[in-house]
Amino acid sequence: MDYRLTPIATDAAPGPAARADTDVTEREVHRSVFLGRLEDVLHKAVGWGRKHSLWPYNFGLSCCYVEMATAFTAPHDVARFGAEVIRASPRQADFIVIAGTPFLKMAPVIQRLYEQMLEPRWVISMGACANSGGMYDIYSVVQGVDKFLPVDVYIPGCPPRPEAFLQGLMLLQESIASERRPLSWVVGDQGVHRIEVPSQREQRRAARMATTTLRTPDEV
Amino acid sequence: MTKKKRTAGTEGPQPGSEHTVVAELYQRFGPGSIVFQPTVDRLPTVWVARDELPEVLRFLRQLPQPYAMLYDLHGVDERLRVRREGLPPADFTVFYHLLSPERNSDVRVKVALTAADPRLPTVTGIWPNANWYEREVWDLYGIVFDGHPHLQRIMMPRTWQGHPLRKDHPARATEFDPYALDAAKQDLEQEALRFVPEEWGMSRSSAHADYMFLNLGPNHPSAHGAFRIVLQLSGEEIVDCVPDIGYHHRGAEKMAERQSWHSYIPYTDRIDYLGGVMNNLPYVMAVEDLAGIRVPARVETIRVMLCEFFRITSHLLFLGTYIQDVGGMSPIFFIFTDRMKAYDVIEAITGARMHPAWFRIGGLAHDLPKGWDRLVREFCDWMPRRLDEYDKAALKNGILRSRTIGVAQYDTREALAWGVTGSGLRATGFDYDLRKARPYSGYQNFDFEVPLANNGDVYDRATVRLEEMRQSVRIIRQCLENMPAGPYKADHPLTTPPPRERTLQHIETLINHFVGVSWGPVIPAGECCRMIEATKGINSYYLTSDAGTMSYRTRIRTPSFPHLQQIPSVIRGSLVADLIAYLASIDFVMADVDR
Repeated sequence: MDYRLTPIATDAAPGPAARADTDVTEREVHRSVFLGRLEDVLHKAVGWGRKHSLWPYNFGLSCCYVEMATAFTAPHDVARFGAEVIRASPRQADFIVIAGTPFLKMAPVIQRLYEQMLEPRWVISMGACANSGGMYDIYSVVQGVDKFLPVDVYIPGCPPRPEAFLQGLMLLQESIASERRPLSWVVGDQGVHRIEVPSQREQRRAARMATTTLRTPDEV
Repeated sequence: MTKKKRTAGTEGPQPGSEHTVVAELYQRFGPGSIVFQPTVDRLPTVWVARDELPEVLRFLRQLPQPYAMLYDLHGVDERLRVRREGLPPADFTVFYHLLSPERNSDVRVKVALTAADPRLPTVTGIWPNANWYEREVWDLYGIVFDGHPHLQRIMMPRTWQGHPLRKDHPARATEFDPYALDAAKQDLEQEALRFVPEEWGMSRSSAHADYMFLNLGPNHPSAHGAFRIVLQLSGEEIVDCVPDIGYHHRGAEKMAERQSWHSYIPYTDRIDYLGGVMNNLPYVMAVEDLAGIRVPARVETIRVMLCEFFRITSHLLFLGTYIQDVGGMSPIFFIFTDRMKAYDVIEAITGARMHPAWFRIGGLAHDLPKGWDRLVREFCDWMPRRLDEYDKAALKNGILRSRTIGVAQYDTREALAWGVTGSGLRATGFDYDLRKARPYSGYQNFDFEVPLANNGDVYDRATVRLEEMRQSVRIIRQCLENMPAGPYKADHPLTTPPPRERTLQHIETLINHFVGVSWGPVIPAGECCRMIEATKGINSYYLTSDAGTMSYRTRIRTPSFPHLQQIPSVIRGSLVADLIAYLASIDFVMADVDR
């Protein structure tokens, strides 16, 4: 797999600047040595573990939370993705879903809750309001939660369907599985690196544009 | 305010004296003090002078068959309004919408204020629920209520400058500097949220012990959204509490002033976000009244059917979270399956789940799709048995009953004084359901009962709602069996978008259509308030049109706002666990409080 390793600028301990993976000899030598392989295996194992036990923070702001809660219950069953252990404390949660409108009065509270989460932590922005303010370009709404939080996955929709939330969760899982975080504070590179995720819109555009006949709403 | 010319006094009846209450006011205060304003909704509306206001309101409160409920109180910035013929000059108006369940009628009292002196006396001494309304009017309009016990911002953060609903205040976030939150601002905002007991007249200790002050929210699993309530605790006992709202203020009323009449419909869905299209109903009915549109019977029946579907999905969510909050974990998982069944029908008909925005001015977005009746029938066959199961497995459960019976009780008198409507009012044994009391959208044609209970406690509020779901299924079944044929849009020039036959005749009709969907329809000037029995209580839209393509003022009265205001009076002296059960039984969503 080809990695383009880009450090996350927002983290507390920033890694080195983007490392172009060009030095072929060094890379091959590193790979052929037993410890190099071991590092790969360890990274993969840790990533796999993180990916399958994501504990969500029980946090909701508005309408989107209802669709998120729908994804948690029986018909959609988020337990299939290992993300059913909903935590009421940010200190025990792995990721927070900003499900709803980031209100001006609520923003400092959201920020405080995020700060209380432990690393590694991720943020899913769910719905148009959290993504960009959506329909609410209004004095009391922050125009997107990414104005003050680093967002990993954006889920479009107003509100997104529960299935869309599950897809967002799966995208986050994919990203987590391929992430490189320090295995220990004494071993190796201390930066956080992740693969560049292409936009879903770009990826799916061809297939979507190829659709020419849509079902009419006249029949169930 | 100037005294009205007294010509009518000698020649004939005073304007508006066909309304009993207006006649009573004329008799008590004399024709010179009362200016009657005709409105589209035919709701008796009178202007009174500021000095006479307390006396007029006290009189209305103490009449035989009194106006027991302060249903709504808010303001209007009149400074840019053009079409206000015959009204007293005003820069700002404050209106009091009073409701008398005994008379089953309302009265609206208005006071004109100048921009130089925007103050008037508080009415918190007459109706306790005026407290939050007056705070909101101060927050959003900068109108001062003399004598108010705690006039402070309620919607906006304390650090906010300006009064957003004034016409000269910017509406868009993008008109301000881009939002940034650095450590200093974070500290400043957090400091502004700090609760200071002395500000609320609370002492930090009694003679024997120190009180503990506990912040519940603004993010707490059982606060049902961005709601904060600060508890003054003596051990487990709640000595007093202060609910704090405004964390969910989306400026929906300001938003209405820059959307066309048509394009505002999706915003109404998101007021009570569990109510879906039921929120569209009072809005489109008010616009239709202003425009003079009468909708066909088929439209009315389809609207009723979808509203009842949303009543069921909303009540189901209430029931699930309610049982969960008192400790029963599994029912909510079953209940979401039922919600999915309802959403399958809603989605097949409207194309969306939570926010279909499917009603239109003068009709609906589509006709019912072919095969809708099969889906609806399947749902009607499925639901009642499940409800019986929840009744048997959860509501008859001994633990649930002992956690809820006799908890957070209030009686009808208190409910009316605090502006409580909906199931919370009916659980006190008071039979007031607008679908029966003032039928709208054809509810008079349906056969259903209004469930009541007697104790007005946490348990009764759940049993009333469970029975309401059964009645909703009954209404849906009647819609299914008696669906009228006919068009799904009214044949009227202001129907938006117009029926297709009206658009493709020749260039004139095409241009009309084009203007109607680009600028939107021009709705005739006037004022109209339409109320409905929404999922959580009485919800209404009070629209003021200045004969433009946008609303001049949209006042959204939501039921959850007074319900939360009532909390301290009910819960003082109870335990923290009772508060959690009580919050669950109120059935509120914060969008329905803060709008």
